[in-house]
Amino acid sequence: MSWTLIALLLLPLVGSVVVAVLRRSDAAAKTAALAFALGELVLAGVTWVAYDPASTDRLQLTSSVEWIPNFGVHLSFGVDGIALVMIALIALLVPVVIGGSWADKLPEGRTAGGFFSLLLVMQTGMVGVFAATDVFLFYVFFEAVLVPMYFLIGRFGGPRRQYAAMKFFLYSLLGGLIMLASVIGLYVTSAETLGKGTFDWATLVEAMRTADTTTQIWLFLGFFIAFAIKAPLVPLHTWLPDAGAEAPVGAGVLLVGVLDKIGTFGFLRYCLPLFPAASKELAPLVLVLAVIGILYGSLLAVGQTDMKRFVAYTSIAHFGFIALGIFAFTTQASTGAVLYMVNHGISTGMLFLVVGMVMSRGGSRLIQDYGGMAKLTPVLGGLFFVAGLSSLALPGTNSFISEFLVLIGSFPTRPVHTVLATLGMVLAALYVLWLYQRVFQGPLRGTALVGVAGGPGAATAPEVGAAREVKDLGKREIAVLAPLVALILVLGVYPKPVLDVITPSVGATLSEVGVTDPVTAQEGK
Amino acid sequence: MTPTYYLLLSALLFSLGAVGVLVRRNAIVVFMCVELMLNAVNLSLVTFARINGELDGQIMAFFVMVVAAAEVVVGLTIIMSIFRTRRSASVDDSNLLKY
Amino acid sequence: MGVTTFLAQADELRAPAVDYGAVAPVLIVLGAACASVLFEAFLSKSQRWIGQVVLALITLVASGTALAIYAGDAPEQGTLTLSGALAVDRPVLFLWATLLLLSFGSILLIADRSVEPGGAFVAEAGVRPGTVQDRAQAAKSGMQTEVFPLTLFALGGMMVFVAANDLLTMFIALEVLSLPLYLMCGLARRRRLLSQEAAVKYFLLGAFASAFFLYGVALLYGYAGSVKLADIAAAAAGTNRSDTLLFAGFGLLVVGLLFKASVGPFHAWTPDVYQGAPTPVTAFMAACTKVAAFGGILRVLGIAFEATEWEWRGVLWGVAIASMLIGAVLGLTQTDVKRMIAYSSVAHAGFLLVGSIALTPEGLSGTLFYLLAYGFTTLAAFGVVSLVRDADGEATHLSQWAGLAKRSPVVAGVFTFLLLALAGIPLTSGFIGKFVVFSAAVQDGMAPLVVVALVASAVAAFFYLRVIVLMYFSEPAPDGPTVSVPGAFTTVAITLGAVITLVLGLWPAFVLDWAGAGAFIS
Repeated sequence: MSWTLIALLLLPLVGSVVVAVLRRSDAAAKTAALAFALGELVLAGVTWVAYDPASTDRLQLTSSVEWIPNFGVHLSFGVDGIALVMIALIALLVPVVIGGSWADKLPEGRTAGGFFSLLLVMQTGMVGVFAATDVFLFYVFFEAVLVPMYFLIGRFGGPRRQYAAMKFFLYSLLGGLIMLASVIGLYVTSAETLGKGTFDWATLVEAMRTADTTTQIWLFLGFFIAFAIKAPLVPLHTWLPDAGAEAPVGAGVLLVGVLDKIGTFGFLRYCLPLFPAASKELAPLVLVLAVIGILYGSLLAVGQTDMKRFVAYTSIAHFGFIALGIFAFTTQASTGAVLYMVNHGISTGMLFLVVGMVMSRGGSRLIQDYGGMAKLTPVLGGLFFVAGLSSLALPGTNSFISEFLVLIGSFPTRPVHTVLATLGMVLAALYVLWLYQRVFQGPLRGTALVGVAGGPGAATAPEVGAAREVKDLGKREIAVLAPLVALILVLGVYPKPVLDVITPSVGATLSEVGVTDPVTAQEGK
Repeated sequence: MTPTYYLLLSALLFSLGAVGVLVRRNAIVVFMCVELMLNAVNLSLVTFARINGELDGQIMAFFVMVVAAAEVVVGLTIIMSIFRTRRSASVDDSNLLKY
Repeated sequence: MGVTTFLAQADELRAPAVDYGAVAPVLIVLGAACASVLFEAFLSKSQRWIGQVVLALITLVASGTALAIYAGDAPEQGTLTLSGALAVDRPVLFLWATLLLLSFGSILLIADRSVEPGGAFVAEAGVRPGTVQDRAQAAKSGMQTEVFPLTLFALGGMMVFVAANDLLTMFIALEVLSLPLYLMCGLARRRRLLSQEAAVKYFLLGAFASAFFLYGVALLYGYAGSVKLADIAAAAAGTNRSDTLLFAGFGLLVVGLLFKASVGPFHAWTPDVYQGAPTPVTAFMAACTKVAAFGGILRVLGIAFEATEWEWRGVLWGVAIASMLIGAVLGLTQTDVKRMIAYSSVAHAGFLLVGSIALTPEGLSGTLFYLLAYGFTTLAAFGVVSLVRDADGEATHLSQWAGLAKRSPVVAGVFTFLLLALAGIPLTSGFIGKFVVFSAAVQDGMAPLVVVALVASAVAAFFYLRVIVLMYFSEPAPDGPTVSVPGAFTTVAITLGAVITLVLGLWPAFVLDWAGAGAFIS
């Protein structure tokens, strides 16, 4: 019985109650929220140390209490390396987000206390999703986490927030309900093979090994559709640009940075080990979707006029890479994919935050309303550039290593897909640099920066008008971005600590699927 | 005369009642059609009692009659109260509740 | 058998043995209902309300106590009493407890006189709506306290209905539960025309459905020579009698039952009656009638028609799918809160039917659990609906609910929670209910039906969310409704419903144990 994960779950929940109680006083609520988030970060650090990557246990730090004995449901928690890095990512991003949203202008009648309280509830839900080792419990967290996010978008979001919140919730709920059918099916199948139904993940992995392929494919599809909606793979992605664009910046970071990773995490934790035969059968289909996602997301990112939607579309492309890595079935590619999940959280989180900082200065989401902003805000420009470079996976930044691992790992098994995916890298350079150039370079222009009173052509007309007073980043904002910049650079040159944690778990996952790396297979001949 | 004819008659009466409920517009007539259906059932019950050679069906018919009488009391009360307001017992006039 | 032979046997007739312990809960309720009528006759007008409320609450507590005492050492497999007319077994005890608890909440809502001055019921039902006298009575503080005996009679009918072991008893119980409800629908204090219209519609359609039920009884009697459920089962299992009678009888019988349970496509009355009836009565109908009707469906299908399951299952699949889709899709277009919940109840009836046609122990216990969970959620939801008011009484139009969270965060929060429970989001009883019912169905080989059910739940979630969007994300209208401060009665009823919804979502094990404690006896 290990209490670290339970503490990780409960601390934000307690925090959210405290913050909700304190919501009348803005300052007290914010301070309390930050304190709890930092406390959670410390706890996550303790967990990281307590986790032993060398151990042969598939799941560590486990704890289990009976919940609903009638169906053998347990409140059981435990982590492998993949879940651990995700939990660490959450613990890192939440304080950053709280710092980043410190001075947000909220819609009328809403309090910062309410906002942070919901963020902390979300944190509990997200930790629960990654830490649950009981499929029923996982499902409960999977659905429950929708509710705070729904309120975050719907109450604190942009002008079309109602539409976006509804679309987000319905897409996720539909996926969730389809998954529920599979969860029930899994339970019934286990009852048939074991005599008594169970939801325990490890037991189910054993039980499903003998299930016939048709059953596996149906159950796989239920899980896969839910995760493909979450992670957005291409035909099911349309909610993300809306939700990402309308969500308040803080919630957007968590949405894209963590919540969507539930999908890719789900592929690794549930789809592959539970349904190995189905995974192999359907991998070609998933890979095609992944490659389409990379190209489609990249192309649409090039064409975006709205910065937040831009970030959302780049994420769709990145999720394509992650899915490619997972379903290429080589250790290198899968390790790269997991590392990519972490790196994407960091770099896209940062990109979202800097876009939010640009918007809070200019008051507009549209790219055309900006121009030459680096003249006014050189520090913001520089940090935007760093976030952009990380997003396009420049060597020396964190994303490069993960993207490189995915591509190099996929090439031996899936050369065509890999080559097409590489096109996505080229497009990434295009969309990031072009965005940076339009917003920050060139002469100062754009209604958001130059105080011009309306009129057609106002966006471009006065080249050197009376610039509005636009301040560069303050100390708080720099402090918020500093840890992210540091991680981007450190993980760019020294990813070993993270890789050490990930690799054994990825290896275990692939052996559950029953695939071996092609290189070693050839060596064996 | 075989009892089957009584069953057919009962089915016919029941159908007439059912069609009446669906097509007639006056609440009182609709209600009378329901009574017709109940009495058609009574005919079936006694016929089956005869076929089976026992009394259960006949006793059931008495129960049905009592129930039908209670239904008349409640039904006419409700129809009366709405009739006094609207001066009409047509079910087409009851159109405040829809969709 | 001629009359003479019958008379010859007359000296052998003996009164059947009665297990008074087993039927005490029913006897207490029906006896109190009669006493309640006497209260109407002999108490002065000023004493009636308090007398009736006290009587009703004491009755429910006493009946519940009798039930608890009996359940403590009841025989495991159940018992038949009143010469086999009533069966008291574990599922029946569970249903009785559910009905008593739900009626307790409903009586509290019915008795409340603080939300609407004088209560939700008309002071003098005889006065014509729209006249001078009618406007005068709207301000009067009294109410027609006849609703209390009517409620008790209806409750007694429901309790007999779920325990009835032959179709004739079932028919009588059906009428005993329906007739008071027809009257109660017409007793609203405000919008009396709507209320009376609801009563007429409910009465005519209800009587129509009863006739179908009765004809089904007659045909099954002709088929099996008996109306006892066990005899019908035996006849269906081992004879070569006319299948026409069996299936025609089954069809007509089930139509009558499905009507009461407001399963689509036999749901036509539901939205109108839910909207027009006084809200406390709607709550009572939505919660208790549903429990009683499905209790009856479970017993009839599980005992009488178990052997012919494969013949009728396809038809009920179709009915369940129709009900879920009708409820979910038509619910989308509603603009009135009460109608919306009515369509949601049609969808839920479809889910319940999915569980009912899985004739397994899991199906039975799952459906029982779902009934309890759904009953409390919907009871509390109607309780909240009765609080949101403007000058004309309840403000049920959805547009009037915009921005409610700003005016009254607690009420909006509770209602949101209840809506999430209706939508089946985890950590509410609604989710556990869906889970147990659907897993029973999958185990019984109905996976495609479950997939349809889940899609329907997703569609239905849309209209629940729409209300949440209105309450939380929209700005309140300047002349919008206010939220009445509920009196103790309504507060207790809503709290009871919401707390049970939460507790069953977090810790369902003990109720699942009770629901799965035993099978039907016949």
